[in-house]
Amino acid sequence: MDECQSAIPAHDGDLHVVAAAHHIVKALGTTKNLSNDLRKILIDLDAHLSLITSNIDSKGGKGFVEVEERLKRVERKIVIWESDRIMIWDSGPKEASDYLEAVDEVQTLIDSLRGLSMNENQKQKQLLHRAASLLQMAMSRLEEELIHMLVKHKQQSEPTYMPSPSSQRNVVYNESVVSLDNESAKEASSKNSCSDECGEYIVDLVPEHVIPDIKSIAKVMFASDYGQEFCEAFIGVRKEALEQHFDILENGKLSIEDVLKMEWCSLSTEMNKWTWSMKIIFRVYLMSEKRLCDEVLGEFGSVNSFCFLEIAKTTILCLLNFGEAIAMGPQEPEKLLRLLDMYETLADLVIDIDALFSEDGGSFVRLEFHKLLEGLADSVKAAFNAFGVAVSSNGSLYPFPGGGVHPLSKYVMNYISMFPEYCSTLNLLLEDQHSDVASLVSEPQCGPTASLSTSCPMACHLRSITSSLESNLHKKSKLYKDEALQHIFLMNNLHYMVQKVKGSELRPFFGDEWIRKHNAKFQQHEMNYERVTWSSVVLLLKDDNPGSSSLSKSAFKEKCKGFSVAFEEVYKNQTSWCIPDPQLREDLRISTSLKVVHAYRTFLGRNPAHVDDKCIKHTVEDVEKLLLDLFEGSPRSLRNSRRMMKT
Amino acid sequence: MPATDYQASFLGRISIRRNQVIAMDGNHEQELQDLELFSKHVSERFAELLSSPDDVPFDALLSISWLRKLLDFFLCCEAEFKGILMMGNDPSQISKPPLDRLIPEFLDRSVKALDVCNAVTNGLESVRHYQKLAEIVVSALEQKPIGDGQSRRAKKALTSLMSAMNVDDKECSAAKATERSWSFSRRGVSSKDRVPEHFRSVSNQVAKNWSAAKQIQAMTNNLVPPRGAEGSGLASPVYTMSVIMVFVMWALVAAIPCQERNGLSAIHFPAPKQLNWAQSIIGLHEKIGEEWKKKEKKGTAGLLDEMQKMEKLGNILMDFTDSFQFHGDITDQKAEEAAAHAAELAETCRRMEEGLLPLQMQIREVFHRIVKTRTELLNALDQVGKSSPPLL
Repeated sequence: MDECQSAIPAHDGDLHVVAAAHHIVKALGTTKNLSNDLRKILIDLDAHLSLITSNIDSKGGKGFVEVEERLKRVERKIVIWESDRIMIWDSGPKEASDYLEAVDEVQTLIDSLRGLSMNENQKQKQLLHRAASLLQMAMSRLEEELIHMLVKHKQQSEPTYMPSPSSQRNVVYNESVVSLDNESAKEASSKNSCSDECGEYIVDLVPEHVIPDIKSIAKVMFASDYGQEFCEAFIGVRKEALEQHFDILENGKLSIEDVLKMEWCSLSTEMNKWTWSMKIIFRVYLMSEKRLCDEVLGEFGSVNSFCFLEIAKTTILCLLNFGEAIAMGPQEPEKLLRLLDMYETLADLVIDIDALFSEDGGSFVRLEFHKLLEGLADSVKAAFNAFGVAVSSNGSLYPFPGGGVHPLSKYVMNYISMFPEYCSTLNLLLEDQHSDVASLVSEPQCGPTASLSTSCPMACHLRSITSSLESNLHKKSKLYKDEALQHIFLMNNLHYMVQKVKGSELRPFFGDEWIRKHNAKFQQHEMNYERVTWSSVVLLLKDDNPGSSSLSKSAFKEKCKGFSVAFEEVYKNQTSWCIPDPQLREDLRISTSLKVVHAYRTFLGRNPAHVDDKCIKHTVEDVEKLLLDLFEGSPRSLRNSRRMMKT
Repeated sequence: MPATDYQASFLGRISIRRNQVIAMDGNHEQELQDLELFSKHVSERFAELLSSPDDVPFDALLSISWLRKLLDFFLCCEAEFKGILMMGNDPSQISKPPLDRLIPEFLDRSVKALDVCNAVTNGLESVRHYQKLAEIVVSALEQKPIGDGQSRRAKKALTSLMSAMNVDDKECSAAKATERSWSFSRRGVSSKDRVPEHFRSVSNQVAKNWSAAKQIQAMTNNLVPPRGAEGSGLASPVYTMSVIMVFVMWALVAAIPCQERNGLSAIHFPAPKQLNWAQSIIGLHEKIGEEWKKKEKKGTAGLLDEMQKMEKLGNILMDFTDSFQFHGDITDQKAEEAAAHAAELAETCRRMEEGLLPLQMQIREVFHRIVKTRTELLNALDQVGKSSPPLL
């Protein structure tokens, strides 16, 4: 203390030493955990230094007295907050505007001091330094206030009106071409339907009433040439906030290596999440972020786009890299729908991306996403082709039991019934491969009656896929030794295809002509079945000698026996066969019945003399009833059924 | 199944012999010429990189412009490599031994390289941040005369800069540096209730346990120089290109902040010195490895020349601002020195401003090139697999 008192400076040159010491003392005074003694000493020292300063002031500085007075006044206003742990903007609007006013005043003083010719005037220099120090103190404080404000008002919750990712994340399409049943294909089919739900959702990332406060800080900091500090602080908080939003969307942080090694099941989930995140990040967060940047920084030149880019870049790179990883992966057929989702999402967003990053600095982002879009387009094509290849090359070693609808038919038909939802995209992407395929499937559809929907690229590709399916089914049918079963199998599958086409969005793409033709096809197989199975049986009952009225007993007996054996054989075989469609089954039974029962009845009717129980194993009614057991898919032998009928 | 194993290797041997027979005909000479030319170009390019003068700041080892040259050379080598591999007379060669093993290994390495590219791209974002902080330091110290206010402003930015560079490197050396940065915090203890100053660091783009060093280590798996007869065939460019790829990725990771680089200097790739083209790469590897070892102990955000300059100048200017605040004033000589250092820092910032974005774009280009070659190789393998009956 004593030393301090003796060291009263004699000339102006030392003034800033005192001022600096004064600042240090003040700064020390703000330390929280000081002992009372120490605090008292600091307060004393503070008072003492003030005294020294004023002493010198009265001696020196002729024309600067007024400036100095103003500086001192404003200094008090600014320094007082240094010891306060409450944030200025939290204290109230009055405090905030007072503080801003004070900072303005410092800036004005600095400007006027700089404006004076600097003729090595110590006093002027000293005042300028003092004001600059004060300005630095205030700027530093404003930066803190800004960060505090941004962090405090960071909107934590997700916008509530957005559909949550779990509600749209649909069931994973995790089966391969061969092992898919109807149900899972149906579940998997619900397309990501959020493109309609989320249009543009610009939200307030920072509550609206805070914006003017942030702007006022920006204004003052930019005016004092502290724009860089403002930007760094702003970018820092906003970038972190965006990354937090991104994390909430549950995007796994995956390396490309991870993605390439991933099981289809989890990959499908990740692809869905990506589709979802892209929409949310660009449509909601980046749109809103851009608006925030423009609002806060719009009047300071190009900094707004610079800040926006810095805030967005890492998150964008993350999304970009997952997209790239998917685009470079092997394009298996099961990926097709997810790839289409990804492609459509990005194709939708590209315009927004171009608008968000329209400045030079953002050309990198624009370019990368356009590249990715191309990559995804290629992936869709590759997966589509892979799908076609899988359909035609799916092989079996054993015949499909019962001759029912093959899982491949179900898989393919259910899968392609999703395609109409992606019609415009598929048309666009399949355009260049269109001519080859169109020539392959140039059915009457492409004639004068062809409508636009049956001749579009997707329609041609769809028909090419079903025609691959048909040839594959033909191959599969050859695995049956029984020719009749071959026909049942083809009839079932063709019928299934026609039903699927008729009962779905596929219909306009296949056209009535296709349906008519394929109806004819399965009916042909139906007829062939009847011919192969029943012609020989019915032939047994045929009158060898149309002239005579009735057969001899032994001949009748023989014919009867022959018929029963043949019928029982058919019964034994064909009860295990399967026609899943009830209507088709019914139709076939009726026409069989007409043919067989009619022939049997006529046969018996022509020989009334021989009709007795011993000779006739099956009555007409028996035959009629027994025919109902066919194609139920549960093998029976006639003994059982006979016993059943008797009881 | 020993029987099939035997058959496979038997057929394998036959096809090797067939390769050799094919290689004996007239085209062989052309191929040999191509291979020779390739390794000649590789050795020339890397010799140029090795001879980069340290004293010329613009082209110094691991400077931005040096890295850009490195990537340029990578792209050139890669194009030549692909030409040799794919435009060869016999495309089916790539599906025959030893390439049937080497190509998939190469593709595996490529994928790992892609992840490194991404990590480095991300790391460059941090470097951009350093640049912005350094620019604040420059703005503060450019003003004349320098007073307490400017000095404080510079010091604040310097503190952020130095700690940001150290935070990014946390994994590399224990977190000793971060503590330092907090103790410099302007408000000291009293700032506890308020928001702390903001330090941005590399945000993890991939899983936390992803490690750049391990990734590069994994790239060296199975990387052995071709032996015997293989040495004269296509196995040798595959090997050469692999070494180049590993080296380039390794150098990028050494230069630019990256997630987890522990053990980077311990990575060896067996490039035998007797191979002409390998000498410069070995030389560069040793040189950079030495640098890394020196820095590893202290902890560094990366060996990027501009960053090292920044770090060095940052420390000097930090001392300057410290002494300024301690003494309250400085001598003219000190002020001049500080101004000179600030000007140097400004120059470094300018080089970063000019070079960082193009560097980032170039890394992206490398990324896309690797993807493209991988796709083409996979397609070629696929094509060959379809057209020729598989060996069992």
